[in-house]
Amino acid sequence: MEKYKFIEGLTSDVMFEVYGKDLKELFKNSALALFSVICDIEKVREEKTIDIEVNGDSLEDLMVNWLQDLIALVDTDELFFSRFEIIEINENNLKAKVYGEPISPEKAGVVVKGVTYYKLKIEKIKDNYKATISLDI
Amino acid sequence: MKEKIQKINDYEWLLPKTAREGMNVGAKIIANKAILDAIEDSAVQQLTNVACLPGIVEPVIGLPDMHFGYGLPMGAVSAFDSEKGIISAGLCGFDINCGINSIRTNLTVKEVKEKLKELVPALFNAIPCGVGSKGKLRLNYDELNEVMSRGVNWAVENGYGAKEDIKNTEENGCMPGADPSKVSDLAKKRGLPQLGTLGAGNHFLEIQKVSDIYDKEYAKKLGIVDKDQVLIMVHCGSRGFGHQIATDYLKIQERAVKKYNIWIPDRQLVCAPINSGEGQDYYKAMKCAVNYSFTNRLVMTQWIRETFEKVFKKSWEDMDMQTVYAICHNVVKLDKIKGREYYVHRKGATRAFPELPVIVAGTMGTASYICKGTELALDKTFGSSCHGSGRAMSRHAALRQFRGEKVNEELKQKGIIGKAGNWKSFAEEAPGCYKDVEQVVDSVHNAGISLKVVRMKPLGVLKG
Repeated sequence: MEKYKFIEGLTSDVMFEVYGKDLKELFKNSALALFSVICDIEKVREEKTIDIEVNGDSLEDLMVNWLQDLIALVDTDELFFSRFEIIEINENNLKAKVYGEPISPEKAGVVVKGVTYYKLKIEKIKDNYKATISLDI
Repeated sequence: MKEKIQKINDYEWLLPKTAREGMNVGAKIIANKAILDAIEDSAVQQLTNVACLPGIVEPVIGLPDMHFGYGLPMGAVSAFDSEKGIISAGLCGFDINCGINSIRTNLTVKEVKEKLKELVPALFNAIPCGVGSKGKLRLNYDELNEVMSRGVNWAVENGYGAKEDIKNTEENGCMPGADPSKVSDLAKKRGLPQLGTLGAGNHFLEIQKVSDIYDKEYAKKLGIVDKDQVLIMVHCGSRGFGHQIATDYLKIQERAVKKYNIWIPDRQLVCAPINSGEGQDYYKAMKCAVNYSFTNRLVMTQWIRETFEKVFKKSWEDMDMQTVYAICHNVVKLDKIKGREYYVHRKGATRAFPELPVIVAGTMGTASYICKGTELALDKTFGSSCHGSGRAMSRHAALRQFRGEKVNEELKQKGIIGKAGNWKSFAEEAPGCYKDVEQVVDSVHNAGISLKVVRMKPLGVLKG
């Protein structure tokens, strides 16, 4: 199954759809889509690990907070990430391990300024999940 | 929605408040016919969303660089009553005080062209560009508090810039009333390592030559006297520090719309009543990001000066490398216009007060402009004008259509030296992705909201 797909929808920014057979996969693939914009995820090695816990008032809120926290980590810990392991997840809480390496110009993509609320949506279609997310670039 | 637009004159178009249900005021678009025809219907629809917010003052403004964005178009101005209105983190956007500094030199095009191949890489080494570069300046918390509260005054006292820079910056480089206690620890942590960094996306550093002077007298006041003169332009914002403040207050204001029972037509337009705690806290935190961003651009200005000193073996003062003007184009300000106070939200829009400079960035292959604000801008657009040429093509489409290396090659054929941390950004920012800046500036000039003073063309371009 396709992990994510960038879609037309915003002139100056980036919008994508993410797919997953369960919430763990949906959140993992959302982070992969985000980091495919920030860096070259194919080349970023797993040198460092960070444990993350995120809370949210709803599933959508949890998604925004998850991605926002990862964006903040790029600045505060100066790391690019390429692997995301969701340990536990429910509608209001997520525990994850993320793997990456120090930032470098060679593997850099674009700065993501934020995850917007614009057309933000998480849907369950039959047995699969789909999220629509847009980023400010 | 566009079929409901009515012509006022060749450069002004009205979307009446009857265009859809829920609009409290009408919307006005400043554009010539060619620009208007190209504006997406969905962007016009977004103007009507803003017109539904409480306390909005007639009219919501769309500028000629407007294009579809998340929540509202870039290139939009909305003014709110200072008592009954709202203040919105969404309407200001993530990159608080994204803006432009213009710096002049007395160097000639010939002098600079001879050194351009040395100068562009030297600048690239001096200014951390892109998401992969680490900042050179690492602040401690006390220093960051000073930057938040005192803006460019901190910079000048610490050897970044000179007193002249302060008076040539909007708000004198420091919005009063910034309160660091309203800024989260995470925002501060993100701000510590990033002062003096350019970022990426549409942010750039450009070396330009003056190509036309339309208003000699005003240009002279800015120190621009000769068509052979070289200028420098820096476009960037408040980096992760401002992005985090916006992120934090979007969440706070999302709760506020529920608490104060405010109906919003789009979730991105979250807001809070101006005189509520959530509203004023945002304003005080936003000012911290405004001050950080002014300081960020001035720190880089000083590094640009030092790089020129090394390359041209002269002091920056001898090269007359003074700030022409420094402006912001993503901001909320309590402006007094014609005797009435408004909270003016400018998103991708520049202040255009009478006789003050307006800086309009083109693309890396096309012209940029310095204009001046007018009385008419106070009457028509809450003292605002356009900020750039405005995107016409999505990043996604750009990557399908352009290749970064090829874009760079085409620039080279025009005599423009480019350097990027990542060639992908050259594809995403290719000149073909943007509207025609000449049409955009023609629109604001003929609408009378800002008048052409100087036109510049790029010689060298650096991107993240």
